[in-house]
Amino acid sequence: MAEHETSAVITASQLTKRYGELTALDRVTFSVRRGEVFAYLGPNGAGKTTTINILCGLLRRDGGEAAICGFDIERDPVAVKQRIGVVPEESNLYPELTGRRNLEYLGELYGLSRAARRSRADELLETFGLTDRAGASFRSLSRGLKRRLTVAAALIHSPEVILLDEPTAGLDVPSARSLREVIRSIHRDGATVFLTTHNLAEAEALSDRVLILVRGKVVAEGTAAEIRRQVERARTVSVVFSGAVAEGALRDACPAVRTATHADGAWRLEASDTHAALAQIVRFAEGQGVRVVEISSAGATLEEAFMAILQDSSRGQESDT
Amino acid sequence: MSQMARAVSISRKDMQSYYSKPPLITWALLFPAVLILAVYVRDPATYLAVTPGIIAMTLLFGNTSMAAIVVTFEKRSGTLQRLLMAPVTHRTIILGKAASAAAFGIATSLVLTAGLVVLLGMRITHPLAFALGLVLGAATFSLLGLIVSVMVKEVFEAMTLLNLFRFPILFISGVFMPVEALPAWIRPVAMVSPLTYVVELFRFGVSGKSYFPGPWLPGLAMIAFLAASWLAAGPAFRRRADR
Repeated sequence: MAEHETSAVITASQLTKRYGELTALDRVTFSVRRGEVFAYLGPNGAGKTTTINILCGLLRRDGGEAAICGFDIERDPVAVKQRIGVVPEESNLYPELTGRRNLEYLGELYGLSRAARRSRADELLETFGLTDRAGASFRSLSRGLKRRLTVAAALIHSPEVILLDEPTAGLDVPSARSLREVIRSIHRDGATVFLTTHNLAEAEALSDRVLILVRGKVVAEGTAAEIRRQVERARTVSVVFSGAVAEGALRDACPAVRTATHADGAWRLEASDTHAALAQIVRFAEGQGVRVVEISSAGATLEEAFMAILQDSSRGQESDT
Repeated sequence: MSQMARAVSISRKDMQSYYSKPPLITWALLFPAVLILAVYVRDPATYLAVTPGIIAMTLLFGNTSMAAIVVTFEKRSGTLQRLLMAPVTHRTIILGKAASAAAFGIATSLVLTAGLVVLLGMRITHPLAFALGLVLGAATFSLLGLIVSVMVKEVFEAMTLLNLFRFPILFISGVFMPVEALPAWIRPVAMVSPLTYVVELFRFGVSGKSYFPGPWLPGLAMIAFLAASWLAAGPAFRRRADR
């Protein structure tokens, strides 16, 4: 991949936003590479929408820097807005206008010629399966169709970067699946996607990299696999030996094992570091002259990793206070 | 595409969405027409004394209200946010919104005036002064409506805030009583009301008579009010539009 293709398209450095006493974003730093799907995760109130609102120029930051495609959002807002498409949490097209008129009007605002906006509107209506309802007012559409039209509206000017704020929230399963397919297709077409979602399976399925934000602070960042590995280090290992072993000997030989319980012929070991524990268990078995008949440690899902990180973060905050 | 072209797009969309609705047009024409007719029926010889004031008052109430209703409606529906996310400057949005509200006020006032000319035989002796009052008044009042609407969330809040200055200035701006007939101590206060200058431009346009020696002084005063409103609208919009 050429260097420009992997360069950062969205950069946030020490981004800070305060609402009175509340610090909604606390020196948040991240970068999103060209062409990747970047999932921006966090519980309610973490600061996800605040970040999107700053990135699309709706909110002013109190500190730090934010740039898209090399343009600072506060110094060059028009240049940034020309390059981004935004799907806000609420579908907010003009209720009284038809789907087609909404797309064409937004095309006008993005500077498309009459012919260009008409053909692009036709193309998007077709892509999103909305051609049959193109003449219906936005207010008369179902929630799923409104969402699809809102995503289509964000694409009217073929933006380099798409900011999606909870795109599938409140949709039924078929609509959400269809929208996820649309997001994949946007990504395949080369756009950079910045996605916030509560749906962690969705984030895992769609994203190249993930950032987890808690109370305005970045607590984890990496690929979904990297984030899962962060918590897999502290997991339960189940092991069956070919013969009897003593708990004390097992604990002494395996310092990575924090607790050990024996039930139904199997040991359940809580490890502080799974990888280290596995190696120590195998060595212990060899030393004891028994075989390891069965050993397993289930991989964490992104959701489990997310919950573990949230709990760690809460404990950290409590100890700070 | 220039920001000016985008302002025209915003205006055209607003005219289609809001200002072309028959009930609105009917209301905007009926309200002043009924008032003028009531005065005409009472005394056909003197109705012209208050007609310029009623047209100006309609312009004030119509334009400030429409601009405020459109913006507060769009804030509630989220479509103003949509506009703020588009590659348009705040000034472009202000220009687009104010221009459509002003165009509506000018169009309805022209239809009303045409009706008065045809049906009641009213004459426009100085069309330029009349046009100056119409354009400057409509633009200034639309901007005032916009400024107030971005400061509040609900339509009723906008109306309450607007009425705090609209109703008092009705009585000091020569709408029902010429400025020269006002008590001497009120006349200086009348000079800080933009409505006074619009009424006097209309009065000069209809009868050639005015409290001022000619149309240029009220014209310049309205240009100053328009410039001040334009300058004030930018920061007000920047501070409040995203709330």
